[in-house]
Amino acid sequence: MAAVPVAACRLLRLRAAGAEGHWRRLRGAGLPRAFLQPPSADADATQRREVAHFTFQPDPEPLEYGQTQKMNLFQAVTSALDNSLAKDPTAVIFGEDVAFGGVFRCTVGLRDKYGKDRVFNTPLCEQGIVGFGIGIAVTGATAIAEIQFADYIFPAFDQIVNEAAKYRYRSGDLFNCGSLTIRSPWGCVGHGALYHSQSPEAFFAHCPGIKVVVPRSPFQAKGLLLSCIEDKNPCIFFEPKILYRAAVEQVPIEPYNIPLSQAEVIQEGSDVTLVAWGTQVHVIREVASMAQEKLGVSCEVIDLRTILPWDVDTVCKYHQPRMGSR
Amino acid sequence: MALAAAAARVWGPSRGLGQVGLLVLRRLGARGLARSHPRRQQQQHFSSLDDKPQFPGASAEFIDKLEFIQPNVISGIPIYRVMDRQGQIVNPSEDPHLPQEKVLKFYKSMTLLNTMDRILYESQRQGRISFYMTNYGEEGTHVGSAAALDNTDLVFGQYREAGVLMYRDYPLELFMAQCYGNVSDLGKGRQMPVHYGCQERHFVTISSPLATQIPQAVGAAYAAKRANANRVVICYFGEGAASEGDAHAGFNFAATLECPIIFFCRNNGYAISTPTYEQYRGDGIAARGPGYGILSIRVDGNDVFAVYNATKEARRRAVAENQPFLIEAMTYRIGHHSTSDDSSAYRSVDEVNYWDKQDHPISRLRHYLQGRGWWDDEQEKAWRKQSRRKVMEAFEQAERKLKPNPNLLFSDVYQEMPPQLRKQQESLARHLQTYGEHYPLDHFEK
Repeated sequence: MAAVPVAACRLLRLRAAGAEGHWRRLRGAGLPRAFLQPPSADADATQRREVAHFTFQPDPEPLEYGQTQKMNLFQAVTSALDNSLAKDPTAVIFGEDVAFGGVFRCTVGLRDKYGKDRVFNTPLCEQGIVGFGIGIAVTGATAIAEIQFADYIFPAFDQIVNEAAKYRYRSGDLFNCGSLTIRSPWGCVGHGALYHSQSPEAFFAHCPGIKVVVPRSPFQAKGLLLSCIEDKNPCIFFEPKILYRAAVEQVPIEPYNIPLSQAEVIQEGSDVTLVAWGTQVHVIREVASMAQEKLGVSCEVIDLRTILPWDVDTVCKYHQPRMGSR
Repeated sequence: MALAAAAARVWGPSRGLGQVGLLVLRRLGARGLARSHPRRQQQQHFSSLDDKPQFPGASAEFIDKLEFIQPNVISGIPIYRVMDRQGQIVNPSEDPHLPQEKVLKFYKSMTLLNTMDRILYESQRQGRISFYMTNYGEEGTHVGSAAALDNTDLVFGQYREAGVLMYRDYPLELFMAQCYGNVSDLGKGRQMPVHYGCQERHFVTISSPLATQIPQAVGAAYAAKRANANRVVICYFGEGAASEGDAHAGFNFAATLECPIIFFCRNNGYAISTPTYEQYRGDGIAARGPGYGILSIRVDGNDVFAVYNATKEARRRAVAENQPFLIEAMTYRIGHHSTSDDSSAYRSVDEVNYWDKQDHPISRLRHYLQGRGWWDDEQEKAWRKQSRRKVMEAFEQAERKLKPNPNLLFSDVYQEMPPQLRKQQESLARHLQTYGEHYPLDHFEK
């Protein structure tokens, strides 16, 4: 197997893409690894389980929100939840296994800090979790429901689509469940296979009445999750599970909001627009660099962030200059 | 933790049972001892000397005889009643001794509902409204339970609970407005008839999917508990809807999360054409309650005092003890499922007539009233005329009103109107400017 030349090519590409310094530590036939795996001490072709091929690109430290702290994505989520429960005395967090901290550690410490009536386990029943959450929200209290994996959100599909999304409209605005947020780990992780890897946002993307959000990084996750929680419409917040530990950034300790339904142009370009969300934003960034280098194509990279209602204007307006070029 | 120390002494610091015992106790400590409710003994104490079961999942003794538990459907959970079919109190100590004014309100609510049902059913037959569902035979379940609640208790219904709203003085005008979908409808004309809702009267808007309201009601009850609101939530559903997964979810959540909620099942014998024998094989819905750890009762739903007593007591305890209650009200659906149904296709006219003539909540209460000297034939005649006139007036007014502005198609999807919807709204407005003549715009508010 031509592992050495293949690996060397990959290394060259990554270097050209302006990859971070740590990649230079990989030598010889070592296959490129995801951020999760520490570089191997022995440099020969030992088969290591390749988790995924992308590099998490952290954003520069945000300066406008006060003091920051190094956080990974699950810690950023914990921070957002902590801020929410501190600010809003009606806010509660519930779902399977959230009490001990959650299977992805997103709720660690919150039950001790805020009490067992505010951070609690529910029985194993997704339709119950979402239905229960809707009921809390109908009374005006803030409900933050966790679905353990997005793959298991389907039993709750009826409650989300037929109930949550339509509550305000069908009642003539007499009732609503706007203070409901559903959080769920999302997307491929390498070993998840069919039932721990799904990205089901498309099933919800055409359901008017709910909002669907997918962050690409810890900083984005905290700001977007806080916006979802405070938004007066039921929101689904999908958290890329592969980034829970892999993505580390400086994240403000205090609460801050990133607006929903606003896409972000991460990189400007003139030839083609690449739209992505969640983990794939980092892959697409790499692709944009490769396209520039190999094909001379100038790519615009947009992180959609909110899938529904989506930011049509930002995605579409950049097409206009392109119509006349080349 | 003293027990843990004792266990360690008995077994020594070895890795055997002592460690397991400590783990068991630690679990108990984190959850068992900290539980709010003393009645829940989560687990018996560790005793290494006895041969007692240690499973965390059940608190029970061993048995060495192989025996399957027989579900009891021949002689099921008994049906609590206060009045017999002739309106006579069976056991005087169960008589709630309600004042005349209150009992008359029961009677007038039930009969006004009955009158409104007749007129609106007819109006659908005449093409004036698109659809209707009557409440014939179940008026007692609505009024008896509604009367036992506080006015601010939150109600989640299914679709056959209009009597609850009637008891809470929801005006005829608004019932009609919703059925006609006219400008006065609080729901802005968006739903099919009988999908009532009223924020002021704490009646959550009805939705068509069945049983979805059950886990929602539990969540609302949990929030009420946290808010120390001294409110109960009541959740109505039929015996058919109780087969849905959402019902199972709701019962289980209510019990485990200790919610002040009354689950009120109207067991009326049919889910459209499906009789109860095809809906379940156990002893109805009441028998399921204990399976979840829920206190349960079965009542005669056509006995308005039985319904009242059971709901009253359930309410008192649900709020005081933060636990759910399940009331299964046995009744009979005298009418068709809806105006889209003809029940002669699946049941005999004789069966229906029996209930209409021999065991009807309205006539049973009338017999009681007459027995007390609180009502007579003269008043009956006068009230029938008066209630019919009230309903007809509201009906005629509702017919004359306009439908809501077409702009209301687009609002309230989200709290704020997103750009995509605003564009659609503007597009419709432009379309109507050019092609308005092809639409019955005169029937709609400008």
